[in-house]
Amino acid sequence: MFTLIKREIQDHFLYLIGSVVLTAILIVALTTFAFHQDTRIDWDDLIAPIIPIAILIMLGFCAMGVSQMYADRNRRISAFVSTLPVTRTHILFARIATGIITILILLIPLIVTTAILIRWFEPPIPMYAGIIFDISLTAFLMMLACYCIGLLTGWNPSKVIPTFGALVLTCILVPLVIIKGFGWEIAMILSVFIAALLIRTWQTFTSASL
Amino acid sequence: MNDDVISVKNLVKYFDGRCVLDGINLSIPKGCIYGLLGRNGAGKTTTIRILLGLEPVTRGQTFLLGAESMNLPAKVRGRIGTVAEGHNLIQHYRVRRLIKLCKDLSRQWNDAFFEHLIETFHLPTDRRVRELSVGMRAQLNLALAMATDPELLILDDPTLGLDTVARRQFLELAIEIIQKQGRTILFSSHILSDVERIADRVGILAAGKLVVDCPLEQLKQRVKKLRVIFDEPAPANLYLTEIINQQIDGREMVLTVANWNEQKQVLLETFKPSSCIDIPMSLEDIFIECTRPVGASVNRR
Repeated sequence: MFTLIKREIQDHFLYLIGSVVLTAILIVALTTFAFHQDTRIDWDDLIAPIIPIAILIMLGFCAMGVSQMYADRNRRISAFVSTLPVTRTHILFARIATGIITILILLIPLIVTTAILIRWFEPPIPMYAGIIFDISLTAFLMMLACYCIGLLTGWNPSKVIPTFGALVLTCILVPLVIIKGFGWEIAMILSVFIAALLIRTWQTFTSASL
Repeated sequence: MNDDVISVKNLVKYFDGRCVLDGINLSIPKGCIYGLLGRNGAGKTTTIRILLGLEPVTRGQTFLLGAESMNLPAKVRGRIGTVAEGHNLIQHYRVRRLIKLCKDLSRQWNDAFFEHLIETFHLPTDRRVRELSVGMRAQLNLALAMATDPELLILDDPTLGLDTVARRQFLELAIEIIQKQGRTILFSSHILSDVERIADRVGILAAGKLVVDCPLEQLKQRVKKLRVIFDEPAPANLYLTEIINQQIDGREMVLTVANWNEQKQVLLETFKPSSCIDIPMSLEDIFIECTRPVGASVNRR
């Protein structure tokens, strides 16, 4: 399994590098913003610039899923790899693991930075204790959901369906968080959505002609 | 569970409503070297792809080493070596990286044998796979398949695109491997001399059906081509079963029959032919007779 994950990472290292670079940029921006404020930060000021960045990240993960599946299908990578001692489920599992690793590379440093900054720069109105956890969980599930949309729509010979299918599904997903906010309700909805996407992807991938 | 390494039961495959494989039944025992023959589009590659679990079936079941093809466990896959038609290796990888991937994923890897093969074939490991010639890709594919010491080797038209020298080299290696290690091998080919050289059992696919499945020696004995001359115009129907081809020209009839036996001989003699000459057939003749399209022969039954 480690070999398969390593192969996926090497083949899609640009996305990992992208994640690292983006995290670094966001950490620098966040820290700079915090230090330019007074000792008390109004974190609500950050919502407006964060939305387009969030959409960009969602689309990025969606593109990663599409790219992994589309490249596999067109270069017939799984057709070769599945003649070795691995099953299609192993291949897909390694792919998803790579996606999750990329998400965590982006997310974990950001969460840590945000948590530290919130402790240092107390907001004017006290935040509830679990906000960091709720935001992190929702962000993780959103990124994973977009990545799974990419995986599902990417397994297609046409270029139109992966591109527009993924875009449409992502555009449906993003307002959902804006409307529902963070918390267990959205986490439940996203979890069910992710489970459905993964089951469908697994079913398609394991029964497809390679 | 029996000892068959490969088992195909009533295999049917449709592509876009077109029947490509029509009720194939096949059993290959351990140690057998099976040559699968057929014209272009006869269904050889589809059969092999289904066996390897790369293509879903429409109906029927296929088993490799006792496991169903579509759900082959990794452990079973590790006992199978494959050389695919067109040598679909990962084209954008460097040879070195592809070798490492295969080695890391394989459950066993015979380094010494693999190095020997790489040296024999003079394969450059620093080039990308897509930069290799077709012959080199075939050799690399065979070397990768052989390095895992597979119990079962499945080769789909392995000599396709190779020049005469490379083909000879490839076959000699295949023979060496077979003689040394006594594995089960299934291979498809267009080149009948290759099949004649290494197979001990053959199957001929024609229009999606397995029209012949028997040992090579038996095939030459069982398929008979006869020139029969009658005193009167030849009868339109001899009531013989398994006629592959029949041509009538006045008193003369040229007949190709499968599974020739004494009963068929007796039945033919009831028509009192004035002469009956056995026309010798090579494997190529048998292949052409068996795969002749329906409209191509006169009075074919």
